[in-house]
Amino acid sequence: MSAGSIRRHRLASSLASHATLTVVCALVVAPCAFLVLGSFKTVEEFFASPFGLPQHFGFSNYRRAWSEASVSTTLRNSVVVTGCAVLLSTAVSCLASYAIARLPFRGRLAWRLLFVGGLIVPVQLIMIAIFIIMRWLGILDTLTSLIVVYTTFGIPLGVLVLVGFFQALPRELSEAATIDGASHFRTFVHIVLPLARASIFTVIILNGVWIWNDFFVALVLTTRPNVATLPLGILDFFGVYSTEWGLIFASVVIAALPVVVLYLLMTKRFIAGLTAGSVKG
Amino acid sequence: MLHDHVFWSAALHNVWIFLVLFGITNTVSLGIAILLDRKSRVRGVYRAIVFLPYVLSPLVTGFIWEVMLSPNIGVVNPMLRDVGLGSLQHAWLADPRFALPALIAALAWQWNALATVIFMAGLQNVPPEMREAAVTDGASSLRVFRHVTLPYLAPAFTVVNVLLAIYAFRAFDLPYVLGGPLGAPDGATLVMGTKIYGDAFGRTGFTVQTQMSYAMAEGIFLFTLLGVVAAILLLYLSRRERRVYS
Repeated sequence: MSAGSIRRHRLASSLASHATLTVVCALVVAPCAFLVLGSFKTVEEFFASPFGLPQHFGFSNYRRAWSEASVSTTLRNSVVVTGCAVLLSTAVSCLASYAIARLPFRGRLAWRLLFVGGLIVPVQLIMIAIFIIMRWLGILDTLTSLIVVYTTFGIPLGVLVLVGFFQALPRELSEAATIDGASHFRTFVHIVLPLARASIFTVIILNGVWIWNDFFVALVLTTRPNVATLPLGILDFFGVYSTEWGLIFASVVIAALPVVVLYLLMTKRFIAGLTAGSVKG
Repeated sequence: MLHDHVFWSAALHNVWIFLVLFGITNTVSLGIAILLDRKSRVRGVYRAIVFLPYVLSPLVTGFIWEVMLSPNIGVVNPMLRDVGLGSLQHAWLADPRFALPALIAALAWQWNALATVIFMAGLQNVPPEMREAAVTDGASSLRVFRHVTLPYLAPAFTVVNVLLAIYAFRAFDLPYVLGGPLGAPDGATLVMGTKIYGDAFGRTGFTVQTQMSYAMAEGIFLFTLLGVVAAILLLYLSRRERRVYS
């Protein structure tokens, strides 16, 4: 092949790859655009033309959805539940993983399998038992029950990611600290944790996203509207306003927005964090 | 429970979901990951978009698909009409023949994001020197892919397919949003997850008499099934990993 034909070949293959990726991206973006545009439309506009743009971009749908779906309550509940659960489960995962990875005691492998095995337990199965336990404890229908359950469900993933990381840390680091007279706990807090920042961030993202988005646990454990989380509030809203499309579209956008904004601000860290946990070199 | 044909039909739906997504994952998602691995100035933008469905709540994804496929306000039917395929229009989610394929499409749309990212991470483990050496030796791009890239992807295949088994058999959120606890229409979108939920907590909230122990039995069956499928996949794929590395 001459240099010219190689260059032509390269150009053609690069064009083909850009074209393919553009189509893929369009398949992802188009439904989202449909959702966002729809949230500004009136009911008549929906039926007039499915592809049409809204006449004007007013926020009346959003204002109504905000007050009538009681977003201020459910948003606060979601923030409290997700925040507490992510914080607690990350803390527990860090401590448990460090013990499993570094402290000398029998049965470490068994503990590790026990924690990580939680990943394959079907949520539907365990929710029945959890529902009965929560009723017995008398904390059904409270935010506390949600925090407890989400914290527990976050631990298997945290242990999976963090044990791998702690084991890969050079032993010399903690040994040096021990020789200098530091206790296990001081070594852990001052030496190991700062090094584990990236992995801890991975755990926070992975657990944060699914806890924020989940509605199954909340659906089972709560019935009172004032303890509903954001997704649950929106789900109820569907039923009440099933024909006011613009209003429902707006409520769905409100539910999606916090995570999407966070994601767009930190795309690189999100993707790097996920892959760090999934495939090790 | 073993004679409950509703449960078996739900389990069969899970199997279909797994099989179709298995096909899509190992061709389409892998292909997208390979394209995203090429150097380009807009790669970051492509990546951010391809990965977006992962951070969307299943509630949001389910809602988007429901309205897109809706015969009243949806865009899929008008689109088919406009390109001259008007005969393919359907009331997708209300038609028992098309509800399951529509559900699988929505699941694939969401699942593809994670699968692609994991493959992408796997591709980053391929040392560039290996590829360059093969190209210098005159290997075609197909041969480079087969003999250099694919072996390094073995761990990614393991992770993706085990996660897929968990995703497909544990599916709950999207089927619930699109079909409800009864798997509307007519049980066409019922999966094991929604069936267990319906049996345990009543089909219309907590007012109906429920059968918690029966649902427990179904749950234990699902757990065992998932354990077996995951173990088979892990054994098979990790043996493959060892083979390609040696």
